Amino acid sequence: MKLVPLALRLERQPGPLLAQIHDALSVHGQPLRWAITAAQPATETQAAVLLIEAVVRA
Amino acid sequence: MSAPPLPVLLVIPTGIGCQQGGYAGDALPVARLLAAASGCLITHPNVMNGAALYWSDPRIHYVEGSSLDRFATGELLLRPVRQQRVGLLLDAGIEPELRARQLQVAEGCRATLGLDIGPVVTTEVPLEVGLSLGASGASWGQLGQGEALLRAGRQLKAAGATAIAVVARFPDDPDSEALAAYRAGSGVDALAGAEAVISHLLSLELGLPCAHAPALLPLPLDPELDPRAAGEELGFTFLPCVLVGLSRAPDLVPVAGSAVGVPLAGPELCIDAVGAVVAPAGALGGAAVLACAERGIPVIAVDNPCLLHVNAEALDLQVLPAASYSEAAGLVLALREGIAPAALQRPLPGLQGLG
Repeated sequence: MKLVPLALRLERQPGPLLAQIHDALSVHGQPLRWAITAAQPATETQAAVLLIEAVVRA
Repeated sequence: MSAPPLPVLLVIPTGIGCQQGGYAGDALPVARLLAAASGCLITHPNVMNGAALYWSDPRIHYVEGSSLDRFATGELLLRPVRQQRVGLLLDAGIEPELRARQLQVAEGCRATLGLDIGPVVTTEVPLEVGLSLGASGASWGQLGQGEALLRAGRQLKAAGATAIAVVARFPDDPDSEALAAYRAGSGVDALAGAEAVISHLLSLELGLPCAHAPALLPLPLDPELDPRAAGEELGFTFLPCVLVGLSRAPDLVPVAGSAVGVPLAGPELCIDAVGAVVAPAGALGGAAVLACAERGIPVIAVDNPCLLHVNAEALDLQVLPAASYSEAAGLVLALREGIAPAALQRPLPGLQGLG
């Protein structure tokens, strides 16, 4: 088992947010702890962008 | 006569320097107030743990952070218990004298508070805890020997422990700027992130209530110590609050699929029953808050400055803003009594037609 720190940039899609975050983290392992640590709201031309810091169990 | 209890979640994330809740259990008065307002508060160790200081209230349910997240997503129910048998898991990296201090706390809690503690298991190898900060400045951490932690936890569970208190040896850094800032009341708790990783890992793997206390050498006296950090400098260990919190932490009951709509045969708490979640206005981007928001549970966003600025606008969330936890308690009481929060504000906009 290895605990891996991550920092991800996620472009928010329409629909529930939690599942989007879980899917993005699960690619790297089992999410152990995470939080959105910065967020840029959507504009007319761009979707909202979220920065996520996490530790996953790989 | 007051209305029936309204279960409320209180979330104050650890390691992000919240002005209230970013230090040594300094959100405990907030928890006590919200427990009184709601009649039933579900919250996590960062809120309740004041090292040598603690408060036990039957209206407050002490739930480790990742389990609280899973409760909010409907994966777990919480079953109140009279008493847990708290196993003590000690890091092999703790020096003999410091280890003896931890054991004496456990003995003291048995003798003086009547807690059911034991057995004690020591990891096969030192856990190798490392501390780090994320790009945001939030506290994170590493564990070099996660498997050793889990093996010791499994041993405790097999021996009858129904909850686990972990004490890991954390790096001493008495001269660091970060520690000086924390003790002065202006910094981030650098230990918090690694503590959360340890308890999350154990709780996820074993399905038991878990909480962590770091083992550190005592610090030199600081006459200018911020009152919010003082709870951690009253003794030799941070363990008493963890043992007291876990002693009545609810059992974690897994639910196959979603808990929504599941009829309850017993006294378990289900996310369906929760009437509000209270969180710092700038730290709304965690699993529990988002899960509640997605279920339509009111989010009370409290002005509690921290490192982060992940607010309702940034996440496109509808929230009830509160300028303080006192105001949040008023909103909780209003929800409990069936008073629409909007009716308490002025101006009161007129009704809008749909067509």
